[in-house]
Amino acid sequence: MNRFRSLWIAILLSWSLGPLLWQLYTSFSSDQALLEPLTSLDHRWTLTHYRSILNGEPPFWKYLVNSLIVSVFSTLLTLVLAFPAAYAITRLGKKIARTLSAGLVLAALFPFVLLFLALLEFARTFNLGNHLLALCMPYAALSQPLAILILAAAIRDLPTELEDAARLEGFSLWQRVRWILLPLLGPAITSTGILVFLFCWNEYPIALTWISDSELLTLPVAIARIAGSSVYSVPYGAYAAATVLAAIPLMILVIIFQKSIVSGLTSGAVKS
Amino acid sequence: MTLTLTNVSFKIGDQEILRDLSFTVKPGECLALVGPSGCGKSTTLRLIAGLDRPTSGSIYLGQDNVTDIAPDKRRVGMVFQSYALYPHLSVAGNLELGLRIRGITKSLRIRKVQEVLQRVQLSDRASLRPAQLSGGQRQRVALARALLRDPKVYLLDEPMSNLDAQLREELRPELKHLILKEQKPVVYVTHDQHEAMAMADQIAVLRDGRLEQLASPTMLYQKPESLFVARFIGRPQINLIPKDDGTTIGIRPESLRLDSVGIPCRLIEREWLGSHQLWLLDSQHGHLRITLPADAEPNETLHVSWNTNEQHCFNTDTGKRRS
Repeated sequence: MNRFRSLWIAILLSWSLGPLLWQLYTSFSSDQALLEPLTSLDHRWTLTHYRSILNGEPPFWKYLVNSLIVSVFSTLLTLVLAFPAAYAITRLGKKIARTLSAGLVLAALFPFVLLFLALLEFARTFNLGNHLLALCMPYAALSQPLAILILAAAIRDLPTELEDAARLEGFSLWQRVRWILLPLLGPAITSTGILVFLFCWNEYPIALTWISDSELLTLPVAIARIAGSSVYSVPYGAYAAATVLAAIPLMILVIIFQKSIVSGLTSGAVKS
Repeated sequence: MTLTLTNVSFKIGDQEILRDLSFTVKPGECLALVGPSGCGKSTTLRLIAGLDRPTSGSIYLGQDNVTDIAPDKRRVGMVFQSYALYPHLSVAGNLELGLRIRGITKSLRIRKVQEVLQRVQLSDRASLRPAQLSGGQRQRVALARALLRDPKVYLLDEPMSNLDAQLREELRPELKHLILKEQKPVVYVTHDQHEAMAMADQIAVLRDGRLEQLASPTMLYQKPESLFVARFIGRPQINLIPKDDGTTIGIRPESLRLDSVGIPCRLIEREWLGSHQLWLLDSQHGHLRITLPADAEPNETLHVSWNTNEQHCFNTDTGKRRS
């Protein structure tokens, strides 16, 4: 039984980690090694790809910073907007809350790619193209449904008597949020934030259409540009190196918040 | 400061939760709200606290009409059934936070928290989280929090219901001592009539949102105004014998006695209650309960009778007391 289980885990792990490891391998292999995988070479391992993208014009870390700025601010904006909305939904009448939640689920399921032409038009009208922080607007808007739903579920899990007790002690609404709700909702807020951050970090079509200045590109667009930079060849190595670099911040984030992600995602699953 | 409710009603949609409830609780007096679940007793507390707003009627604290005053401005000290302690804070943190919100300086806060912890005998638990405490300790923290609020009125919502029977009995005098010596009105919700009789100066029996009877524990027991109250107050339960003339006679089990004449009965069950015993008898009027000395033994033929001035007469249809 136990041996079977570890085998199963090994299969799943290689299934999900395989492509990543391949990418890692590719990023450190010389072009020649990639083309002739089984022959023995003097220069199989190389840092050329990393060197080339980091010395590119603009250097690759610039995109990392761009993405970081966009994702951090979008996430903050999303949480700032979603938290009051989620709180309000849990305190509304049952009927209204149910209707709103159903609407939010629909909105969350809507394929947002369909919106990108309209959004492009929007950016053109209001002159939002080539502004890094302007991306926060569509990102925060698109993240709202999911963020509100997760946060509302977490707030609903808190006994209302906690807030009642605080009100009787003289807490204002803001004081209840600051001293009671936020500390207790920490895990839920963290996991929501990470989901939103992931979305912003990976988002492609809107970033592609809103930003054209090569100094301001976000990672997905920049990586796609590297992949398509030459008509005659595909720069596999540079492409892989870029992906590896783009994944590192995410991995750090997940490792730091591992615990609260798990507890946040499973909140509401079991009553304490 | 006297707490007064006048004709308080509360509706959720079309559903009437409370109808025309009026009562007065004087400083240092304890009013117990009792009744079956769903009778509106917890709702009454929420209305007094300001967590819900009455549909009609007014609530007064002293001379002030507080009906429209927000709960955070009302200064009531409430102990919730679940205790509602802040789970992320230590015992001291739980007690201190409210003081901090109300703008009390740090040194004074520390002194007050220490004082109240001493009063509820939890000084050695100050740094623990609520989850690390026993039920009785949590209850005392919740009580300490209410004490620190320096309230005009105390509201206790089934403060003992999460404790086991023995602990409840031990804590009752302690709670009474801590709360009642404050000389504030106390409203105590419970579904346990023993607890109500032990704690309260007045008991309000609620039924479907209406006040059935408001009286002292003794009066409630000796002169129930309705069949409902007669059945609700007193264990073992009162015996009810319907008559042909539209009255129902109620006799407490201890008022029944074994006799040579009277209603013929058959013994079907005996229960020892320690100092005495309870017999369940079968008669032409249905089952009768009678309490007897512990050494009583059944005869071949049993008859029971009672002193007519110990009986209660009710109108069978309306359930109201006749005499």
